[in-house]
Amino acid sequence: MKRLLVLTVAAAVVLAGCGYDETRVPKAAATSAPSSAAPAPAPTCDAGTALRSYAPPSTLPSPGDMPRGSTMAKIRNRGRLIAGVSADTFLLGSRNPLTGKIEGFDIDFVRRIAAAIFGNPDRYQLRVITAADRLPLLQKDEVDVVVRNMTINCTRWEDIAFSAEYYASGQKIMVRRGSDITGLSTLAGHRVCAPTGTSSLDNLRRLAPKAVAVEAPNHTSCLLKFQQGDVDAITGDDTVLAGLASQDPYAVVLKDKPFTSEPYGIGVNKDHVDLVRFINGVLEKMRSDGAWENSYRTWLAPTLGRSPGQPRPQYGRQP
Amino acid sequence: MSQQVTAAPAPDTGLDQHDAPVEAAAPSRSADVPTLLNRLQVAAVAACVLFGVITAGMQLLAWQANRAAADNTEQLVRVQNIQSTLYRADALATNAFLIGGLEPPAQRQAYDDAIDQVSRSITDAAEAQSADRDVLADLNTTVNKYSTSVELARANNRQGFPVGAEYLLTAGGQLRAEAGPIITALVDANAQRSEDAMGAHQPWLLLLPGLLAFAVLFWVNRQLAERFRRRFNIGIVAAAAAVAVLTLVAIVVSQGQRSDNQDLLDGSYKNAVDEASARTAGNDAKANESLRLIKRGSGQVYEDAWAAADNKVRNTTSADAAWDRYAAVHRRIVTLDDNGRWDDAVKLATTAGAGGSTAAFEAFDEQSRETVASSGRTTTDELRAGNSGILVLAVLTLLAGLAAAGAAAWGVGQRRKEYA
Repeated sequence: MKRLLVLTVAAAVVLAGCGYDETRVPKAAATSAPSSAAPAPAPTCDAGTALRSYAPPSTLPSPGDMPRGSTMAKIRNRGRLIAGVSADTFLLGSRNPLTGKIEGFDIDFVRRIAAAIFGNPDRYQLRVITAADRLPLLQKDEVDVVVRNMTINCTRWEDIAFSAEYYASGQKIMVRRGSDITGLSTLAGHRVCAPTGTSSLDNLRRLAPKAVAVEAPNHTSCLLKFQQGDVDAITGDDTVLAGLASQDPYAVVLKDKPFTSEPYGIGVNKDHVDLVRFINGVLEKMRSDGAWENSYRTWLAPTLGRSPGQPRPQYGRQP
Repeated sequence: MSQQVTAAPAPDTGLDQHDAPVEAAAPSRSADVPTLLNRLQVAAVAACVLFGVITAGMQLLAWQANRAAADNTEQLVRVQNIQSTLYRADALATNAFLIGGLEPPAQRQAYDDAIDQVSRSITDAAEAQSADRDVLADLNTTVNKYSTSVELARANNRQGFPVGAEYLLTAGGQLRAEAGPIITALVDANAQRSEDAMGAHQPWLLLLPGLLAFAVLFWVNRQLAERFRRRFNIGIVAAAAAVAVLTLVAIVVSQGQRSDNQDLLDGSYKNAVDEASARTAGNDAKANESLRLIKRGSGQVYEDAWAAADNKVRNTTSADAAWDRYAAVHRRIVTLDDNGRWDDAVKLATTAGAGGSTAAFEAFDEQSRETVASSGRTTTDELRAGNSGILVLAVLTLLAGLAAAGAAAWGVGQRRKEYA
């Protein structure tokens, strides 16, 4: 009887104390591999006319005197200019962690447009957007302008309008020090990062189809992947890569000439031709009063060197 | 067994013959009677012993189940606390980032404390439940990855590099994508274990050994009555009565425990689980509030996440008033941001003073944390306190079963003496 009792107790303890199924985490659905889709077709528009914007008015209206019914008057009535910008593109538009303010070369243009409409350069609201957001937000009128190192091209002209070119950039490649990548021709088989929805990504797929294109939401995400060893190189505009390289002493921008031309323009809803003309007037004023040069000197000269000068505007586009 | 026992049935006098004088039956084959009595004695004793052992064993299992339920509830509260504390760490990190520049030392200390607490809790949880160990090891890896990314974010932030923000956002995203499913699995597994253990009491199962023993004793009594002209054998009747009473008591106690456990499941246990979920959702909301402002106007996705978390908190928290006060400040932040007053919105979201969103949120978090702790403690205390009675009953059942076996043996022994 004693043995029976011991066995029963032992069985009870074993049954009650042990025998839990091991805790398991359900398997997640497999994530997709880095994109290697076919390259987008190259824009077929005429590069000679792509930079043509709407001519500015002969004289800019004063801040208190915007034409009735104009886009500028509507912005003035709202009380602030809404601009889509980047907050992570060092030197062009990035949040200064020490002050919490977004600042850079692009932001200076927002301030000048706000000053031209309100007489006060601080009457603006910045909306931080990704490259892929730029066109849709303009088309939906959720932002008045996009000043986010956006390349002017004919494909985009079909959806939005651009100001005259405000900076002549070009696409380059950034690699680790000691990398065997020396240029476009040596990218085959290497993982190269570029932001989703950018011409940089399209150019990479078109000019280096054997490279493994890896997409990221923005260039700073590319830098994070680069620092974590997930990609071998980053491609983008020289201005952007200069900003990335200055955050990482082990990164170097290849010294080759840019393999594309990336003329930056300020994006506007295509229906707001009056605002485009107004902005072009502001850009002309920045040329004449030296504001463009001052801005370049503050943000880009330390890394990109001497000023190439504000690009000459091209007009003649008709609504 | 082919041997037949064919004692002549006693004539029924219609009287209670309990105390009738001993009158040996007249078996046709008298040599078979001692064997029969031996067998009846073995059957009666075995029935009583088995009843005692099985019923006591079932009660021991119930006792053990309640202990397991208490342990599993503690583990459940522990893993939910890990989740809440991780989200709190993320809320602190994102809010500090929003402030810009050097984060306030108190906020930095609170973040470090939260991560330390998570690490200690993971170790405690791994010691408490071996079945969770592998998943907790994965969680530990994820938490290390998260805290490393936050440190990288800080290091870059201090140098004024925007890539710091990217490290922070990526860390928060990874935390939700990688640690979230792990903790959900831990919470689900431990909740299931707790609820299974609390629902393990099956009062009517206890009826089976009692019925079986009672039937055997009834049969033995009947066999004796047929051969010895006694309707009842005192020893067997006493044993049967003991079995019946013990079975009844066992069922009543088990039913009571089952009912108590159901009350716990619907009461303090549910409070602890719901409040822990609310606290996690609340901290998730606070982190999303900061992310909305970090994204400056492109933060609708974070505002949607805030609204989802707000809904979850409202459905589960008992700290409604504290949450309402925080939510009211959040609405003011949204209004300021939507009206282009981002700087004012950030001030309201980051100030440590009264009237700011952080102070209002901390009040909710503290109240919620205390509710989780006290409800969890109530559940485990009650599971353990009400449990000792079952253990005592198991011992008594075993002893009473043995006593019933003794009474049955004695009763049959009396007939053997009569026969001799």
